[in-house]
Amino acid sequence: MAQYVNGLHVYHKRNASICFVLAMLVLVVLVGRLFYIMVFQSNMYEEKAANLHERERSIKAPRGKIYDRNGVELAGNKSVCTISVIHNQITDADKVCGILSKYLDIEEKEIRQKIDKVSSREKIKSNVDKDIAEKIREYKLDGVMIDEDYRRYYPYDDLASKVLGFTGADNQGIVGLEVKYDSVLSGTPGSILTLTDVHGKRVKNSAESRKEAIAGDNLIISLDVNIQMYATQLAEKVMKEKNAISVSLIVMNPCNGEIYALANVPEYHLNSPYQLPEGTDTEGLSDKKKQDLVNQMWRNATVNDTYEPGSTFKIVTATAALEQGVVSVSDTFSCPGYKMVEDRRIRCHKVGGHGAETFKEGVMNSCNPVFMEVGARVGAANMYKYYKRLGLFEKTGIDLPGEANSIMHNLKNVGAVELATMSFGQSFQITPFQLLRAASAVVNGGTLVTPHFGIVIENGENGKQQKISYTKKSGAVTEMTSNTMRELLDAVVSEGTGHNASVPGYAIGGKTATSEKLPRGTGKYISSFLGFAPTTSPEVMALVLINEPEGIYYGGTIAAPVVGDLFKNILPYMGIEKTEEIKDTKETSIDISD
Amino acid sequence: MEQTVRAREHTGTDSSKRRARKRLRGSIDYTLLMIVFVLLVFGLVMVYSTSYYTANLAYDDPAHWVLRQGIFAAIGVVLMLVIAAIPYDYWKNKSWILLVLVDIALVYVWAFGEEVNGAKRWLDLGFITVQPSEVAKFAVILSFAKLLEINYKRLGNFKIVCMTCIWILPTIAMVGIENFSTAIILVAIVGIMLFVASPSLKPVLGMAGFASVLVVILFSIKSYRGNRVKVWLDPEATPDGYQTLQSLYAIGSGGITGKGLGQSLQKLGFIPEAHNDMIFSIICEELGFVGAIGIIALFGVMIYRMLVLVVNAYDLYGALLVTGTIAHIGIQVLINIAVVTNTIPNTGVPLPFISYGGTSILFILAEMGIVLAVAKTTQRER
Repeated sequence: MAQYVNGLHVYHKRNASICFVLAMLVLVVLVGRLFYIMVFQSNMYEEKAANLHERERSIKAPRGKIYDRNGVELAGNKSVCTISVIHNQITDADKVCGILSKYLDIEEKEIRQKIDKVSSREKIKSNVDKDIAEKIREYKLDGVMIDEDYRRYYPYDDLASKVLGFTGADNQGIVGLEVKYDSVLSGTPGSILTLTDVHGKRVKNSAESRKEAIAGDNLIISLDVNIQMYATQLAEKVMKEKNAISVSLIVMNPCNGEIYALANVPEYHLNSPYQLPEGTDTEGLSDKKKQDLVNQMWRNATVNDTYEPGSTFKIVTATAALEQGVVSVSDTFSCPGYKMVEDRRIRCHKVGGHGAETFKEGVMNSCNPVFMEVGARVGAANMYKYYKRLGLFEKTGIDLPGEANSIMHNLKNVGAVELATMSFGQSFQITPFQLLRAASAVVNGGTLVTPHFGIVIENGENGKQQKISYTKKSGAVTEMTSNTMRELLDAVVSEGTGHNASVPGYAIGGKTATSEKLPRGTGKYISSFLGFAPTTSPEVMALVLINEPEGIYYGGTIAAPVVGDLFKNILPYMGIEKTEEIKDTKETSIDISD
Repeated sequence: MEQTVRAREHTGTDSSKRRARKRLRGSIDYTLLMIVFVLLVFGLVMVYSTSYYTANLAYDDPAHWVLRQGIFAAIGVVLMLVIAAIPYDYWKNKSWILLVLVDIALVYVWAFGEEVNGAKRWLDLGFITVQPSEVAKFAVILSFAKLLEINYKRLGNFKIVCMTCIWILPTIAMVGIENFSTAIILVAIVGIMLFVASPSLKPVLGMAGFASVLVVILFSIKSYRGNRVKVWLDPEATPDGYQTLQSLYAIGSGGITGKGLGQSLQKLGFIPEAHNDMIFSIICEELGFVGAIGIIALFGVMIYRMLVLVVNAYDLYGALLVTGTIAHIGIQVLINIAVVTNTIPNTGVPLPFISYGGTSILFILAEMGIVLAVAKTTQRER
């Protein structure tokens, strides 16, 4: 009887229980597996799932602004909009087509194509003005997305274009200061994380997590808009008068390297940087050729290119000779109009020669034989020593991209002829800024400065300012030589070839130059003038380069007046007091000197 | 022997008719009924939670699926209560009719059925579509219990075992052609019922061996099934692992306490038809490990409750009916959870009472009706 309970055999019950126990064991294993996934692997899977659910839209960070030394905005941001369509969300395609076509000035066909494209998002147009975007927004069209965006805006458009540079579609710097200070100016983009379903549609009522963009830092540069504008005007004027290819005018503080103005005419339009100058014939040009033209337009000749400095370089030769002690101001020379160097007859610019003259007069007359003579006295090795001290073998360190370096003879190849030509600034190439830097050291008491624009970085969020420091090397020239040189260069303007740069009431020093472009004999010149004021303690230095002037091309005639005009206006503006008594400026006839 | 036992317990020694009536007077098993209702309501809540978003997108009606499921559940409950009211002996000599009907339906579907998602599984009755393979489970349990009751004493003989199984073999084979996972479940139900009924283990082990061979054969019929093993081993390596991976994401992101009811993100189309076989993964995501354990515990209590029924059943037929139902529910729960956790290769098995599926819910409830009918008798007899 024990075997039978309720009509069932015991083994039935036993077997059923065995099944139950086995099932429970399996269940325990599965619970363990669940525990493992839901506790130990939870973070991993949660993260993976989140990647799947979250769509990230980035928020562009406003780019830092660029201000001039007085706080005038040179580069800012303009709010613009990007308009795009989302295929899945469009309910009335015809209406969307019509309205977008009307306001954005795009063919309906083109918009239709983008609407019909099954994609998560199709961009219709970017950089749309806010007013227009606002009008489109008012229609509340399904599937049309309007995203706010920043676009770089340059209030002065073409002012200092080759200095500032511009930015690309993603607000990244492309040329100029915009690229050099890109890491400073560009902010950190933020993002909007949106929860979406499998079709990429935002889940209703889901919280958006937002990471705000951090604005880029502002850059304050040494440029002074007023000086820059005036310099540009002068450059444009002389370019037009002399029908020159281009004119560069640099205004710099010789004591600390701050650049007040750098005009490179023709400038280009920063707000439409790809637009070639009017009248450019692009018909039949390949894209590459067109791009070359555009690159040429953006090029900053004072930094990216080298040239033969010509007679302005005599400043360096004279400094070397004085430093070396091989000449004194009152030493006398004789100029027959040429000098024989080895078997070569190297001419002076004055055909008949300057006759007997002191060293000072030689500088004032810019007499080539005098400089060949003192150059020879210094010797090649010593000359190179002074070149090196004046920073002529190194880049100036200017904060603009693509700076070129000098092209010099190898010292062991410098014979008497090379040394002679180098003494008056020929047979090698330097950049205008290398010349300016060397000349600054000569007149400021021997400090080698770094020409620069950036002076202060201002935090975009809290306005905290941080000064940018630049290297200064003193001792390039002794104080005594520097004094002598200032006097000599003062004489050049007050009595010599540079008198066209003189400004009543101010003591101005300078040196003229006319360099024939290579290859020789084509009649193409670069006329230049380097001037500084006041000569007693220089506060401003300017260099003008007139590229391929037509007609009279002598630096003293066409370049010196540019600097004279400039100083006449900016010295009072800069608060530099008049020191000289106003004498009657003697009307000298045009001196065909250089 | 049985007669003696019955005679002892039924004092009245009148006709069997009177005895049957008396036996029916036992009250219903409220514990079991409550669990069924809790599972049903929870299932409806979860079907709504998992489907409202996609239903809204597809039909502009968030209640599209939950409404249909609700109607089926309501019909199922009525069916369950009706069946519970009928003495289970009633089915003893009628179950073969149901089995034959199912066989016909399976053949009809195989021959003329419309293909949906690469398989022919649906029988369109005009007003309703049913899955004959789901009905087959009910029919097989009913008929196999009867077959075993006849032969259980001779189950030590392998030949007898085969002779017992042969009647339901066509049904299993027909199901297996179109619906592999359901066939496996049927084989398992049959195996468990056989094991419980059999006095000796030898023939059962023989059958297990035979079943394994059958599984291997069925497995190799359709090549895509082989791919599932690859997916199982490394779901991230193959694009076919998408569903498995999405299920793991859901379960994993649930954590201990879950995201809260209705807060699942994986149901937003990432898991296709989240209200179907993969519903457990969304339960995990929304209710966490705690919620998942709760549901598993509910199933555990239900099955334990039914095991007690088996042990206390009035007769072997009743015990086997309950055993079949336990096997059906238990195996589906185990396979379903094993699949969503990628413990075994992916195969579509609904979670009883909870997953969306009209035929499935209808016939699970019908089986519960039988179980309740068995429970009534034992309570009286106890």
